[in-house]
Amino acid sequence: MAMKVARDLPRLVAALAVGAFALLPTAGLPAFYDSFLYLVLFWVSLATSWALLSGFAGYFSLGHAAFFGVGLYTTAVMATKFDVPFLLTLPAAAILPALLAVVIGAIVFRLRRLRGELFALLTLAVTFVIATIVLNTPIDGGGGIFMSAVPLPSLMPTPTGTFYLLAFVICVTTLAIAWKVSHSRLGMGLFAIHDDEDVAEAKGVPTFRYKLAAFALSAGIAGIVGGVHAMFVGFITVAGTFELTVPLYVVLMSVLGGSRSWFGPAVGAVVITTLLNSFNSGDQAMLGRAFVGFILIVAILWLPDGVVPAVRKWLKRRPTGAARAGAAVAPVVASTKPAGDRTLLEVRGATKRFGGLLALAGVDLDVREGEIVGLVGPNGSGKTTLINVISGHYPLSGGSIALDGRQISALPAHDIARRGVARTYQIPRPFMNMTALENVIAAATFGGPSRSPAEIREESLHWMAFTGLSGKEDMLPAGLNLHERKFLELARALATKPKLLLLDEVLSGLNPTEIDNAIRLVRAIRAQGATIVFVEHLMRAVVELSDRVAVLNEGKLFALGAPHEVMRDPGVVSIYLGKAYAA
Amino acid sequence: MIEQIGAWRRRRVLTGMAAGTAVLAAPALLRAAPSGKPVKVGGTLSLTGFLAQTAGIHRIAAEIMVEEINSRNGFLGRPVEYVLLDDQSKPEMARSLYEKLITVDKVDLIQGPYATAPILAAMGVAQRYGKVMIQSSMGIPKLQTYDRAFPATPFGPEPDKTYPNVILDAMASIPTPPKTIVVLTSKFPSAQFMAKGMQKEAEARGVKVMLYLEYESGNHDFGAIAARVKEANPDFLWVGSLGLESNLLLEALRKLDYAPKNHFHLYPAPGPLALSPDGDRALCSTFLEPDEPFMSRPGMKRYAAEFKERATKANLPYTTIDAQACGMISEWQMLEAAVNGAVSLDDAKIATWLKTHKVDTVLGHLRFDGPYNHGDASQMIKQVQHKEWKVVWPKEFAAPGVKLIAS
Amino acid sequence: MPSATLLGQALISGVLAGGMYGLLAMGLSLSWGLLRLVNLSHFALAFLAAYIVYELGTTWHVAPWWSAALVVPAMFGIGAAQHWLFDRFRVNELASLLITFSVAVILEAGIQLYWTADFRRYETPYSTLSIKAGPFFIPVLELALCLVAGTLAWGTWLWLRRTFVGKALRASAEDADIAAAYGVNHKQLAYLLSGIGAAYAGIAGTFIALIATLAPAEIWTWLGVVFAVVIIGRLGNPLGALLAGMLIGASQSVAMAIFSPAWAPVVSFSILIVVLLWDPEWL
Repeated sequence: MAMKVARDLPRLVAALAVGAFALLPTAGLPAFYDSFLYLVLFWVSLATSWALLSGFAGYFSLGHAAFFGVGLYTTAVMATKFDVPFLLTLPAAAILPALLAVVIGAIVFRLRRLRGELFALLTLAVTFVIATIVLNTPIDGGGGIFMSAVPLPSLMPTPTGTFYLLAFVICVTTLAIAWKVSHSRLGMGLFAIHDDEDVAEAKGVPTFRYKLAAFALSAGIAGIVGGVHAMFVGFITVAGTFELTVPLYVVLMSVLGGSRSWFGPAVGAVVITTLLNSFNSGDQAMLGRAFVGFILIVAILWLPDGVVPAVRKWLKRRPTGAARAGAAVAPVVASTKPAGDRTLLEVRGATKRFGGLLALAGVDLDVREGEIVGLVGPNGSGKTTLINVISGHYPLSGGSIALDGRQISALPAHDIARRGVARTYQIPRPFMNMTALENVIAAATFGGPSRSPAEIREESLHWMAFTGLSGKEDMLPAGLNLHERKFLELARALATKPKLLLLDEVLSGLNPTEIDNAIRLVRAIRAQGATIVFVEHLMRAVVELSDRVAVLNEGKLFALGAPHEVMRDPGVVSIYLGKAYAA
Repeated sequence: MIEQIGAWRRRRVLTGMAAGTAVLAAPALLRAAPSGKPVKVGGTLSLTGFLAQTAGIHRIAAEIMVEEINSRNGFLGRPVEYVLLDDQSKPEMARSLYEKLITVDKVDLIQGPYATAPILAAMGVAQRYGKVMIQSSMGIPKLQTYDRAFPATPFGPEPDKTYPNVILDAMASIPTPPKTIVVLTSKFPSAQFMAKGMQKEAEARGVKVMLYLEYESGNHDFGAIAARVKEANPDFLWVGSLGLESNLLLEALRKLDYAPKNHFHLYPAPGPLALSPDGDRALCSTFLEPDEPFMSRPGMKRYAAEFKERATKANLPYTTIDAQACGMISEWQMLEAAVNGAVSLDDAKIATWLKTHKVDTVLGHLRFDGPYNHGDASQMIKQVQHKEWKVVWPKEFAAPGVKLIAS
Repeated sequence: MPSATLLGQALISGVLAGGMYGLLAMGLSLSWGLLRLVNLSHFALAFLAAYIVYELGTTWHVAPWWSAALVVPAMFGIGAAQHWLFDRFRVNELASLLITFSVAVILEAGIQLYWTADFRRYETPYSTLSIKAGPFFIPVLELALCLVAGTLAWGTWLWLRRTFVGKALRASAEDADIAAAYGVNHKQLAYLLSGIGAAYAGIAGTFIALIATLAPAEIWTWLGVVFAVVIIGRLGNPLGALLAGMLIGASQSVAMAIFSPAWAPVVSFSILIVVLLWDPEWL
């Protein structure tokens, strides 16, 4: 009972505080404070909503004004031309921009190339196009829309109080959404997309759907903020709505506060809005603006990653012994299924074409459950491409791939990952902004069977210990050496409890001691009964580890069989020009 | 905190300034200097941002007027303090700052901001607190729906119907009246509003509208538009321009070796257009120019001299007083007349007085009993002659010896 | 349907007017592409240069090219100085946005303090000159702008492609550590590049003074289009930026000749969107 009270008390206090803030307009403060706070809340909501896609997932949008504007004009048109009560227009002001975002996203997010600057360009272009359409059609027509005849419901004693309340509700909801997202599977997926989208997809993150969801949320919030703002401003024009100030300010606010944190954009928005409003007396206008610029420069030079990350870093400097103590390794019972006769992976006539180049020219390969197959061949023979088509990174140009008797060749990569295919990269590609442990947890969450967060954490700790990374849990990948990053790749793959593990040159770049370590590790993995396909140049490892070896040459399967037999094949030796054992 | 200190300092300085002026002026006027608690009159101007080009002019005009009013009797014997804030050219800022003026600074009276969007944003606030709001720069009178909002500029209630006819009358008076017209306009609400009226009235009077083109406000590239104008080769070119759009258009036309025959410009920046080599004979809308008969209006000579001096000091590029500045002067003349007339600072009484009286301002006899509180339209036409703007129409307002020159 | 003369004239005007977008985009493209710094103050620097050219021209009657000879090196110095700040504080791409935005705000305030917010117009005999070529007219000032911009873009492009320094710069943009291992002094080159970028702003400013409207808030009006141009032309590629500027200028201008001019942005940016969706490799 007492525990329950202790646990609920902070929530109760928070709820009371939120309630008290909501009722601020009844406190009898001059109305100006309501309208100033309205503007602060307005920017907090806009900046936070922008960060849902652009900060979390790194899809930098310059098109926030488009969604804001569509929402604003939705309310304006419905309220003035169709006499819909103001509050009833707001759902539409959220839904329409969200739908627009879904349509844009459904097209754009399918194109792997439209990331980074090109996405920014596209969203900017969309803004120009929408603004021009609104300007030249009866939606606005150029004359602006005057909202004075639209009645404002009296939710608070004063109209400005009503605006404050609406903005407050939207703002609290937006922050709650941002918090919820950043602490959920969706958020974890978005952060993974931010760091490396291809890897995220390969680890089982449904990137397309997640981006679409974030985009729709982001646009919907911007839209409803716009809907309320239409009433607040009273007279709206295209030039005043679709101006670059909106995307520019939300970017700057997020940068100042820290755009990857759910709370960062809010901090930035409060600081910048307050600063811009501090110098509006007629005598200070010019110098005031210059002073604001100066403060911002000093602030960002001092806190280059933004306010919230800087504060977090400062808080983290204090030792967190408690967390460590709880991180005891829990033994995971190894499954010891013997290598059976059941075929797990069935590749039939796999073909992959890149423009005129035929990287895979019809490869057939069966992998039995519990087996280790070594994939060898000279550079450019198609080994990594084969891994890429099995894991779904590239779609096949022809042929088929089945896992457990089910066709997987038409599935998106994240689906394949969820069906139990895990892969590693030759050059490790960890999520650079997540700690080592978070990297493993993210992979386990999306790739593995569904488990509770606590289970996932325990197992992730186990696999980190298994790969010898104990004590590095809280380090960022940048702090790990190559050997450790390679093992992090393994830990990420293992944590998904894969049916099939695809290893791409785990040993390359390692020194002899590290190689011995790695070989021991792969053996240990094998001892747990995993099925493994691995690409390797190092023949000693191939011979030691493989049950069978597949030799690729010029995109075709050249030889397949027991390691020692294959390696003695004169044809194989000639491919390698006698260098077979030299490594 | 900073706000408070700022407000306090500003108050002291302004009161001091007002008192100083009053002391100097007192012997001459043989009046008691205004004394007691100052009457605060609040307003915003777009001192920064994309509308800031004209704020300097308005500010100077307002300051001239505040000093003048204080050199007389102030408002009801109390000195006037002008609380000026910067709305950064943003309507939402205007809205918020008028709330600040009324609820935090607790001003007694307000003056309107500049340009349609901030005016309408401020008007909503004024309406909620029942404040009288006088403004001088809203070109679409029908949007002025608040019954205590008053115009200081004589647009008349329907300038989109009346003013095109003034222009067409002027054009009909030239030796070869235009038979064809091209209407070109910036998609800025007040300009587009007038352009549509122009198109309609021209058609009604049998002038053929060869082209009606709208371009995005703030357009930089007039090459293609100029080529279309040249190809149409109208007798009369009507441009709903703002700022320097007219300069850019005329230059683009010159580059095509084309000079428009008769050309009218709605709201261009007057200085640059007068000085442009292509601006010669350009026509433009106005309410007043510093010539006769306007200079004979009470106080006008002094305002013109004072304006020139202060504008030079403020480093403004064009220091001649114009209709914009006089709009602001007119605002304060109205407010002063209404406060004195109503013998009250009460907004309801001031509003009633304004509706039932005429006020003599530098912009003429204004009345406010028509639709949207507008009275008679008195929008005129000026023309660049020898690099100077001269009123040329209606004829009774033309400067002595000046005539509309047709091309 | 408009006549061929009209279309041809619109195309000429548009391409030449697009040169201004390109010239403004060139410096931005260099610093964004090769130094990973997004320089929002580029526009403010260009306008500062324009105001100085205006001031020298109207008060002291200095010919614009002499003013340019003074302003451009000064801008080079400012660019290098600005880079010192970035270098000293190891500013990243996102932080550079905020810093350069603030620099632009400060410059805007400074310009307004000195020159007021009122419109300024620098009248010169060159602003309305044009050459007649058949039925078409080619404006001289815009032509000069495009020739200057073209020469600079071509020269910079060659420099980046062909010389060791240029290759080194591009290598540094890919991976500064590896480039450093090959003995590339990235720091010095970065100063040089920042200076060149700002010098371009100086040149653009000279033409802005002659061609466009001067008002402090005008600093921000070019932002959207020029950003689009920078990305279309590929980051770090001045020649691409110039061509992209001309492309946007031409498409807008031709659209203005055919449709209602206010629809022009829809035409050019819809084309851009379609191209982006259809084949991003093209960029």
